[in-house]
Amino acid sequence: MKPIECELESEVLAAVLQGLWPTGVDDSLRNHVAACGICADVAAIAGAIDNDREEMRARAAVPDSGRVWWLAQMRARREAAQAAGRPITVAQVIAFACAMGLLGACFGATSAWFQSSLRRTVSSLGALGSQALLPAVLAFAAGHGALLLGMATILLIIPAALYLTMLRE
Amino acid sequence: MFREAAFNDFQRDSTLDGTSAGFVMDEETFRAFYERSARGLWAYLARLTGDRQLAEDLLQETFYRFLRASAVYDNETHRRNSLYRIATNLARDVRRRNMARGFSVSAGDDIERVPSGQDAGTTERMTDFTLAMSRLKPRERAMLWLAYAEGASHQEIADVLGLRTASLKAMLFRARRKLAALLGRAPQGSKP
Repeated sequence: MKPIECELESEVLAAVLQGLWPTGVDDSLRNHVAACGICADVAAIAGAIDNDREEMRARAAVPDSGRVWWLAQMRARREAAQAAGRPITVAQVIAFACAMGLLGACFGATSAWFQSSLRRTVSSLGALGSQALLPAVLAFAAGHGALLLGMATILLIIPAALYLTMLRE
Repeated sequence: MFREAAFNDFQRDSTLDGTSAGFVMDEETFRAFYERSARGLWAYLARLTGDRQLAEDLLQETFYRFLRASAVYDNETHRRNSLYRIATNLARDVRRRNMARGFSVSAGDDIERVPSGQDAGTTERMTDFTLAMSRLKPRERAMLWLAYAEGASHQEIADVLGLRTASLKAMLFRARRKLAALLGRAPQGSKP
């Protein structure tokens, strides 16, 4: 198995990074590098990377620290406000759905026109019904029309309102 | 101009309320840390992505996520490693997204837009190096940069890149060989 490390690797690296390579080091280290593939690779690339790093750092176009801090704060506050607003939105949706349901129930309970048309529909459907269960269900619907209407409204409005809220977010 | 004005307004507001949007780090500490690390991180991101503008965007995103992480660090090295880990993950995500969309930026497409004051020798040297780096895999670029530009230990590099230290040594060896060959050094035997 080929060796992948050399004990003098760090010495070569230090010499390169301190600008001592190749003239400022002992002959023994130079001779070692000439014979060692690992250290020769380190000497070849460490200097190139270090030079590139210095040039890149000099050319770096980084924004001002104050601006980065300011933008981070703005964004954190915006995200915090959005996160805080989310439960309120859900509560608003539920409240809206309940209000609509209540409104529907009130309308059903107070409107004479609605009550009479509901009874007429139920009685005509009851006359058509052949099974024993159906007349009982229809009779219940006729008696509690307002309640059923309110529940149906809630069941229809809640998913629709939730869907619209999600879509907006 | 607008940004300057908004920035000044904010400065006044923040002195009034004294809050820091829930960050664990205060402004003074952040700014000092930023001054110490931003240029090095930008160079790392620019080499990793090959795109100066993207490097700047990722730099800001990295510092934002670093602040939001609200972690408490034992020392400067721990803090810096965390920063580089965030940056590496962001660069990886961008690369994956770009690949999914069917396009990619090789490391160096945009880096060589050097300022006009740069001398010819420097430009040529950088172009050679950039070309060699662009032929490496992103992970190889990252590990070589961390090892030889940032002076990170094997343990630190493994931590930043999410690798095992034992695997890292062999990977670093291969990446070093590859870059040395690309830079024109004739391959030698690896016997110390």
